[in-house]
Amino acid sequence: MRRWLTSREALVTGLLVLLVLFTGLVNPNALKFRSLVEVVNASLSLLLITLGEMFVILTRGIDVSVGSAAGLSAVVLGLTLNLGWPLSLAILAALATGLLAGAVNAVGVTLLRVPPIIMTLGTLGIYRGLMRILTGGSWIENLPQNIKALNLWHLLGVPFFVWATLAVLALTAYVTWRARPARYFYAVGDNPEGAYFLGLPVRPTQFAAYTLAGFFAALAAVVFTSQIGFVSMNAAEGYELKAIAANVVGGVSLTGGVGTPLGAAVGALFMTAVHSMLIFLGVPGIWDNAFAGVILLLVVYLDYHVRRTLEFRRRQARVQGEAAWEAEGGRS
Amino acid sequence: MSRYLKTWEFALAVLLVLEILVLGAINPTFYDPENLLYATLDFMHILFAALPLTLVIITAGIDISGVSVMGLASITLGLAWVAGMNVFVAAGIALLVGVLAGLFNGVLVAKTDVNPLVITLGTLFMFGGLAQGMPALLDLLGFKAYGSEGLAAYQYEGITGLPEAFIALTEGTLGIVPLPLLLVLAFALVLGVLLHRTRFGRYLYLIGNNPEAARYSGVPLVRALIYAYVLSGLGAALAGVMLTSYMTSARADLGSDALLPIITAVVLGGADILGGSGTILGTLLAGAMLGYLRQGLLALGVTNDLIQVVVGSILIAAMAAKQLAHWWGERRLKRRALAGRGRG
Amino acid sequence: MADQGPLLELRDVWKVFSGVPVLKGVYFDLRPGEIHALLGGNGSGKSTLMKIIAGAYRLDAGEMRLLGRPVRVESPSAAQRLGIYMVPQEPHVFPHLTVRENLSLGLDLDPETFRRKLATVLDHLDFEVDLEEPAAFLSIAQQQLLEIVRGLLRDARVLIFDEPTSALTFREAEQLFDQMRRLTERGIGIVFISHRLGEVMEVAHRVSVLRDGVMVLRAPRERLTPHDLVRAMLPETAEEGEGPAELERARRGERPVLEVRNLTSEAFRDASFDLYPGEVLGIAGLVGSGRTELAEAIVGLDPHARGEVRVGGVLLPRRTPAICQRHGLVYVPEDRHAHGIFLDLPSLYTMTAGILPRLGRFLLASAKERRIGERFVDLLNIKLQGLDQIAGTLSGGNQQKVVLAKALAGEPKVVILDEPTRGIDASARRDVYRLIRRLTAQGLGVILISSELEEVVELADRVLVMYRGRIVGELEGDAISLERVTEASFGMALEAAS
Repeated sequence: MRRWLTSREALVTGLLVLLVLFTGLVNPNALKFRSLVEVVNASLSLLLITLGEMFVILTRGIDVSVGSAAGLSAVVLGLTLNLGWPLSLAILAALATGLLAGAVNAVGVTLLRVPPIIMTLGTLGIYRGLMRILTGGSWIENLPQNIKALNLWHLLGVPFFVWATLAVLALTAYVTWRARPARYFYAVGDNPEGAYFLGLPVRPTQFAAYTLAGFFAALAAVVFTSQIGFVSMNAAEGYELKAIAANVVGGVSLTGGVGTPLGAAVGALFMTAVHSMLIFLGVPGIWDNAFAGVILLLVVYLDYHVRRTLEFRRRQARVQGEAAWEAEGGRS
Repeated sequence: MSRYLKTWEFALAVLLVLEILVLGAINPTFYDPENLLYATLDFMHILFAALPLTLVIITAGIDISGVSVMGLASITLGLAWVAGMNVFVAAGIALLVGVLAGLFNGVLVAKTDVNPLVITLGTLFMFGGLAQGMPALLDLLGFKAYGSEGLAAYQYEGITGLPEAFIALTEGTLGIVPLPLLLVLAFALVLGVLLHRTRFGRYLYLIGNNPEAARYSGVPLVRALIYAYVLSGLGAALAGVMLTSYMTSARADLGSDALLPIITAVVLGGADILGGSGTILGTLLAGAMLGYLRQGLLALGVTNDLIQVVVGSILIAAMAAKQLAHWWGERRLKRRALAGRGRG
Repeated sequence: MADQGPLLELRDVWKVFSGVPVLKGVYFDLRPGEIHALLGGNGSGKSTLMKIIAGAYRLDAGEMRLLGRPVRVESPSAAQRLGIYMVPQEPHVFPHLTVRENLSLGLDLDPETFRRKLATVLDHLDFEVDLEEPAAFLSIAQQQLLEIVRGLLRDARVLIFDEPTSALTFREAEQLFDQMRRLTERGIGIVFISHRLGEVMEVAHRVSVLRDGVMVLRAPRERLTPHDLVRAMLPETAEEGEGPAELERARRGERPVLEVRNLTSEAFRDASFDLYPGEVLGIAGLVGSGRTELAEAIVGLDPHARGEVRVGGVLLPRRTPAICQRHGLVYVPEDRHAHGIFLDLPSLYTMTAGILPRLGRFLLASAKERRIGERFVDLLNIKLQGLDQIAGTLSGGNQQKVVLAKALAGEPKVVILDEPTRGIDASARRDVYRLIRRLTAQGLGVILISSELEEVVELADRVLVMYRGRIVGELEGDAISLERVTEASFGMALEAAS
């Protein structure tokens, strides 16, 4: 219990609650149920992309192509729908696109041994280019009603996608907590050499991480396509960076092996809530990015400061411990 | 001599010449010297940012905030000019802003153990947001008087109508050589001397290859790292100023799509993302190669989108080839050593 | 036991790294129920040999047999399936996972079987630990036990211990030996790698000695004396040697070139001593006794250390590596690869890394730099194709010489050498010994830290012994002997020694 209270998830959740409460003091509208649901609803696609990115970061990798992969999946979704494919089939096609995009990254990183940042920077351009080639550069509009209807469907006053994303989050959290292969993501990132020595499937685990990142990007594509109702050529642009930031804020360490789906989700929620709360506070949207950057830097700096202080205390305790041991005549 | 023939820079130079020959063979107007010279204007900002980024990557760091610094420098220049300053003084202030941005990055990277990618990701957002918000911010601070409806009016359109003297910065030539190209080459020369001929440059390689050994050897890590990021910030600001002149408008979002080509130029130029290797000449050649490729393909009617795909593929292919070459080299050494084992 | 066929056998094994052969046709065997000690200086190839057995490296030539059948071990997991498990020198701990997860990783057992098996193994080993704690909290001894548990959970028939005692206390080491003996009763074969001859003579049934990638000795323990082992490990040339340093010992009237007063850090306390010009001062002590930390604190690598350091009588008010270098105080670190050398850069870059400020105010004087490099290539007899040869492609001995050149390039007054001959071949070792003598003849003060006590005994004029962070004794001249130094290193009182 104490460990949870001092965890990054708790810290960021606390900050999030404070942020919302503070905003509520200035503008009570922010605390209305509908507003809060809207904040959550607006965070869904970032949340899903962040979850996928988490797997990659857990293995000590990085994927800056997830935004483009989401865009590409959205284009496939839009095109197939406009070709008259049934909704379920179109969604499957979009998910397959995401999987494939992730798998291409995985091949580059695990088989060709291209450094992750280079590989995914390359595919960042490739997928974005492919999007525009597939559509001839124009937006995909006039999508059939069935996809937009998904977003309108509510249960207990909460949109369907919120429930669906919560279910995905719960499933991911449960699986990474309990399932043995899911623990490999942690082991591989925590100590890659050790993982290899213990015979863990290091490469397949990395492969799975990048593929999952692509898959989650495609899930996000389904959500935002339904929410917006069209596919722009800038869809999900920059989400890769926001997803990395959300992970870092949520306590997923870029050095690998540390972090939870819950943390990643809270991180994504936080990044979106900042945006929404600024609106409630009457701050123009133009300041969003500046605030996001400041918050990211503040969180990592605080984290660094706490770690350094703890390390310093540990050192001092050791010196004192040794002195006490000597004073007791331990030297023999 | 044969030593130089085996270098990556030589290979890049050959590729660059081949590329120009092939593109020219398909489209003879491409051969026109004037065309070749002026084409550089379209990618000079990539070079301005990529050249000093090479220094950062050699230290095993990275700076992705440069594209935001470009916009920040551009809008600073514009606003300072609107506020009544001489446009060149305004440009100086813009460069100073770039230096300060680099200093901010550098101090955070050098003084903490936080991953440079995370830090510059934070400042990418922060500087970008600052650039967008700056007109409104200045209004709040009481500079509203300078624009009839407040400076915020410039938030989206950008600031146009900059003086001719400033526009001439990118329109001017020396003989037939455009001024910006000369400036790029001069910048490359300065950075090249810094990196390859001075103590500071050597420190960067040492830090990038083995930071602990560098510390044990008495290398001033903090100072060297800060300088590298400052130069990167300065380069990005320089890119922003030149691009402002070229586009004849100061905008907050200038150069925001340049991140991929900038990093591609550095990595393709031979800098190892894990640190310890890279040259200014390599980045210059790779940047030119990518720039001309884009120009040539555009002239052939290839769309921007397909070019993006081509550039991404080249980046990946080059890295994969490098890995393969390394693996082959190791295998050859091993064979040679085992062949001599009878004598052991 | 003697008539049983070998459990494990390796024949004519070769291994090459970056073109440098590290194992040159090695034979090794292990019988069931046997503790077979493998000795050799660090870098003699013993760790490489063990990693080949454990599947971490593939052999480049030769063959490996398990119970008489040739086997190919392509990966650690393949080795583990064959019943071979290596307890590495640095245990593979996943700090953020729980102890239970650390133990279950890589095992293909259902939870119930795992639980029962784990309980049996833990019970057998007398290992008490909170399975739900993150492994980051384990002590080093516990981490070692964790690795042994991993091996037993995999039903290992061959267990390899790579210097398991180097970070353990005396008592912990004894407990480990009890464990090892109990394991052999079950027919498990154990390969035991150690630097400490006493331990080897205590637990091993047989001993093999590896030197420069060649097996130079293999015999039952009963037929060996510690002296035989020392002789086998040391290069032939060291014995023909030029005799102990011929030094006028009457230098005591002189002012010390280095004075250390009340230096304290978390790893050691209240270190005070002097070093005189032309003197070799040995610092002996077990790993973890604070030797390396003391050296690092002297040259300003530990910002938390408190105390005074004077060089040539001048107090250094603030110490950083750069400041110490300017005052003529340099350190050659223990871990060459981590702290000494720039492996992927030209060798010259390492040699001059410490003296760059002296090579010109702004532009580097490259001609001068190359002259300095060439001078040290001659002086230290460094074998390289050119100053631009990438340091990582040099042999271990030449890499060490390049690091020595870095320290000497600034013409220091005091050189602290930490394990200067670790992992280098016989002729390079001889060159290093010669160098130490030449330096002292020129009036430099040398501090020599070494785990190879023979080396300390042979080279040092005076020896400080450290135990648990304290300087517990000082030996001088004829009082320096292997026995005395060893005893003091293990914390036994030094009565009537000095």
